Amino acid sequence: MSKYIKHSLLFVFLVFVACTDVIDVEVPIAAPRLVIEASLDWKKENSGNVQIINLSLSTPYFSNDQINPVTGALVKVKNNTNGIEFDFVDQNNGQYITANFIPILNQEYTLEVVYNNEIYSAVETCMPVVNIDDVYQSTGQGFDKDALEVNVLFTDPVEIENFYLMKFQMQGGYLPALFDISDEFSDGNQMEVFYEDEDFKIGDAVDISLYGISKQYYNYIRLLIQQSAEGGPFATIPAQLKGNCINITNAENYAFGYFRLTQVAKETYTFE
Amino acid sequence: MNLKKITLLLLVFTSILFAQEKATLNGIIKDRSNGETLFGASVFLKNTSIGVLTNEYGFYSLTAPAGKYTLVITYLGYTSFEQEVNLLKEQKFDVELLENSTQLQEVVINSAESESVSIKKPQMSVLKLNATTIKQIPVVLGEVDVLKAIMMLPGVTNNGEGSSGFNVRGGAVDQNLVLLDEAIIYNTSHLFGFFSVFNADAIKDIKLYKGGIPARFGGRVSSVLDVLQKDGNSKQFKMSGGIGLISSRLAIEAPLFNEKGSFIIAGRGSYVNLFLEMLDKDYGVGFYDLNLKGNYGVNDNNKLFVSGYFGRDNMDFDETFSNNYGNLSGNLRWNHIFSDRLFSNLSVIYSEYDYEFGLKLFEFNWKSSIKNYNLKYDFRYYANDAIKLNFGANIIGYDFNPGVIYPTSETSAVNYFQLDEKRAFEAGIYISAEQKVSERFSIEYGLRYSMFNRLGGQSMALYQNNQPVVYNEQLGIYETGTIIGEEDYSKNENIATFNNFEPRLAMALELNNRSSIKAGFSRTAQYIHLLSNTTNVTPLDVWTPSGKYIDPQLANQYSLGYYKNFKDKIFSLEIEAYYKTVDNRIDYIDGANLIGNNYIEGEILNGESQAYGLEFLLRKTVGKFTGWFAYTLSKTEQRTLGGSAGGPGINNGDWYNSAYDRVHDFSITGAYNLNEKWTFGANFVFQTGRPVTYPNGQYIYEGLSIASYTDRNSERLPSYNRLDISATYVPKNKPNNRWEGEWVFGVYNAYNRKNAAAISFGQNAETGANEATRTAIFGIVPSVTYNFKF
Repeated sequence: MSKYIKHSLLFVFLVFVACTDVIDVEVPIAAPRLVIEASLDWKKENSGNVQIINLSLSTPYFSNDQINPVTGALVKVKNNTNGIEFDFVDQNNGQYITANFIPILNQEYTLEVVYNNEIYSAVETCMPVVNIDDVYQSTGQGFDKDALEVNVLFTDPVEIENFYLMKFQMQGGYLPALFDISDEFSDGNQMEVFYEDEDFKIGDAVDISLYGISKQYYNYIRLLIQQSAEGGPFATIPAQLKGNCINITNAENYAFGYFRLTQVAKETYTFE
Repeated sequence: MNLKKITLLLLVFTSILFAQEKATLNGIIKDRSNGETLFGASVFLKNTSIGVLTNEYGFYSLTAPAGKYTLVITYLGYTSFEQEVNLLKEQKFDVELLENSTQLQEVVINSAESESVSIKKPQMSVLKLNATTIKQIPVVLGEVDVLKAIMMLPGVTNNGEGSSGFNVRGGAVDQNLVLLDEAIIYNTSHLFGFFSVFNADAIKDIKLYKGGIPARFGGRVSSVLDVLQKDGNSKQFKMSGGIGLISSRLAIEAPLFNEKGSFIIAGRGSYVNLFLEMLDKDYGVGFYDLNLKGNYGVNDNNKLFVSGYFGRDNMDFDETFSNNYGNLSGNLRWNHIFSDRLFSNLSVIYSEYDYEFGLKLFEFNWKSSIKNYNLKYDFRYYANDAIKLNFGANIIGYDFNPGVIYPTSETSAVNYFQLDEKRAFEAGIYISAEQKVSERFSIEYGLRYSMFNRLGGQSMALYQNNQPVVYNEQLGIYETGTIIGEEDYSKNENIATFNNFEPRLAMALELNNRSSIKAGFSRTAQYIHLLSNTTNVTPLDVWTPSGKYIDPQLANQYSLGYYKNFKDKIFSLEIEAYYKTVDNRIDYIDGANLIGNNYIEGEILNGESQAYGLEFLLRKTVGKFTGWFAYTLSKTEQRTLGGSAGGPGINNGDWYNSAYDRVHDFSITGAYNLNEKWTFGANFVFQTGRPVTYPNGQYIYEGLSIASYTDRNSERLPSYNRLDISATYVPKNKPNNRWEGEWVFGVYNAYNRKNAAAISFGQNAETGANEATRTAIFGIVPSVTYNFKF
């Protein structure tokens, strides 16, 4: 809701009067912090056995190297219900992989990372998702009259609080587009999400992912999306994003990133 | 009922106390040419210390021992009036002052006299500007702007172009009580703050109380902006207007009922739409407003006024979305003179602000509004030459609609949803006295009692452990508490009740004929709050009343000042220091979601703020060159502790810079009257950059570079500075031609400084590299406006 309103305001603002330019700004540099990108995504119909966790350190904002991989950490995930543990093997490039993970919907898992003699821990529930009903293309329905759009339809279950993350990644494109969705104002309805890009052309393929997510993760990703997408005078004052990876050894030294377990419905759409 | 008794008691009390063998002179002071009443004209008896200033209706009342006197009335820009009077009994004496027509141009400049500092009155921290002064200040796109003018004065700032409202002494936008002919105005800006909602053609005077707020005002903790509309010309038909680049204006005023009354209608409309259409864009942006006022003098002791304002902003972006918002107000007033010493005014006022936002893409509309019904009864009793009393009462009923969302088509994915509508009732009674203790010492003391009821007719969420916000110890973040149920309140129940005593005190000690020292204290309470956690206040922010989970804001302000007129009042100097604290200032948890949220209490924490500063104002109000130099050195901070929600609070519970903190704020405003044809104006502003939150690192998550941030408001934007210039050309007027025209040429931001309205950080879509993007609103903007009168 509010994000549409704010985006629209900004839109008015920009076309009406403002001019924008890229400038050099000196920003402060904080000490590096561990980043845990533990997105255990279980594609529908798949086993979900192969899972990757990425570890890195944060870098200065204008740094040329955006990724500073972390090696030598110990990473494991435990199913809290049945006690089964899954060890993630260090690939020495920041990736930690397991090939025998067993996802079980609505069960709770614990992530544990040991790095620099400090223990990081996170707890999350494996969240289900509905199927994608339909994907179709259109032109001129969005903000840009000439742009191609891809539209995704799915049906929200009635009388259950649901949260979704939708991701569009143009194949060969650089940045993915993320959308946080709640059913607060549309409980039980068929929901439609569209994504437009002035660069879309016939023949382009877009990977679409619909994740079912927990409320806690929704709050996190909503803020993340808001802060990475917003700008201008009507933006919400940004704040430090804190995920669910806490540092048991030294609470001050919490990690960025998030431990999520989600079922995901995927489609690829090619413009024709 | 209670009120009546109190009023009666007061009357009895005061008349017993002050009944002496004295005579009273009273009347109304007006402008002879157009019949407008003059506010702030000085009426006194020569060679005595007995004198008074006219009130906002031009009324005065003087009481002196019976005898012969010379009555003198002065109002700069007008020929002084002097006449022998034999004061024996109660006498009515209306006077019309003649505008100083021999030097027309001088008059325009001199009319600032009512603005020169009054060293005798205890009232301090007040800024007064009249329409003439405001019109001389160069402005963006030639659009005369009341708010831009007050921002040139010390202690008043805003967030730069493109932000609605203004900040007074480190106060938030919602802490200003803005009154247009007594009606509360909730949003003072058109087009996101580019223009103010006040049409200068319809305005007579504005007064801004930055501190020392008189007891008759209540409801906001930071300031009162009192805007008075013109009554309309009661002598002859007049038409005036202007044609500018962005908008045009037209005002019509004329006498009614054999000059017993008059009216004014002033309208303004933008034609930005036209330009956009010419550019072949399928969107429109525009605004318009209409000011109306009429008055009718029933007889010597009774006068009726009706006034109204209606303004609207519209934005329409064809297939995607539309947005419109505006204020509406109406006011009926009855001036009644009970006796030669007792003046009264009864007002019935309605005002509302609403906005509607339609997102055609997603087939839904969103609406929100605030409405109030206001009844005010104010009295001024001129007890004797040493004491004047003000007393009265005020009740306000509020209806808040925080939002309703509804689908606009069958296929919309959105369900109808109405957020809980809120109702509240506010009341205040006050009494204050202006007392001249000695020849050189005056004191004004008063007390306001205010009461606020959050009314039922809705349900309120109940939270676990009664905690709407909880600190998540593990994750180190604030979250909305767990709702465990709802409590229904029927329409005749109160959800919460608050009441406060608000003492106000001001005193003035004249050091000599030219200088004085003043000190003041005011305590103020504010029961309704504007929710906004964006960098700039937007027209779409929502007002919310105090209640079960939100406490009223309470402020204490202490001020001390030194005032001096020198060189025969050609120059005046005002130096003021202030210290202000505000309790229960709402602060927002990180990532608070305020729009479309039924559980606002789950997003906010209770904080406090403090502000202190030193203001310096040097004015020259007479001569070919007029203008002022203003400088403010100040600090505004806030602190929000976790309190009952637990945790350290915002920014670890440390004091941090408020968004309105400006260490230095410096401005020069000048007008030079070269000859009858040409007048030049210029102003320069320099301000410390606004506190902002910057990134201090980045990491990759979901394929995106995500910024990590510093503490809230710990960095600053680059400083804001700007120079504007203007030139006014008045072509020679043919004799017998009633038409008077003038051309106003202006250049806003003359050296094309790109002042950052915001700096945002993000990834370049093509390279993925992080970059900082500056949004600057106006570069250099030339303008030309043609104004006319006939």
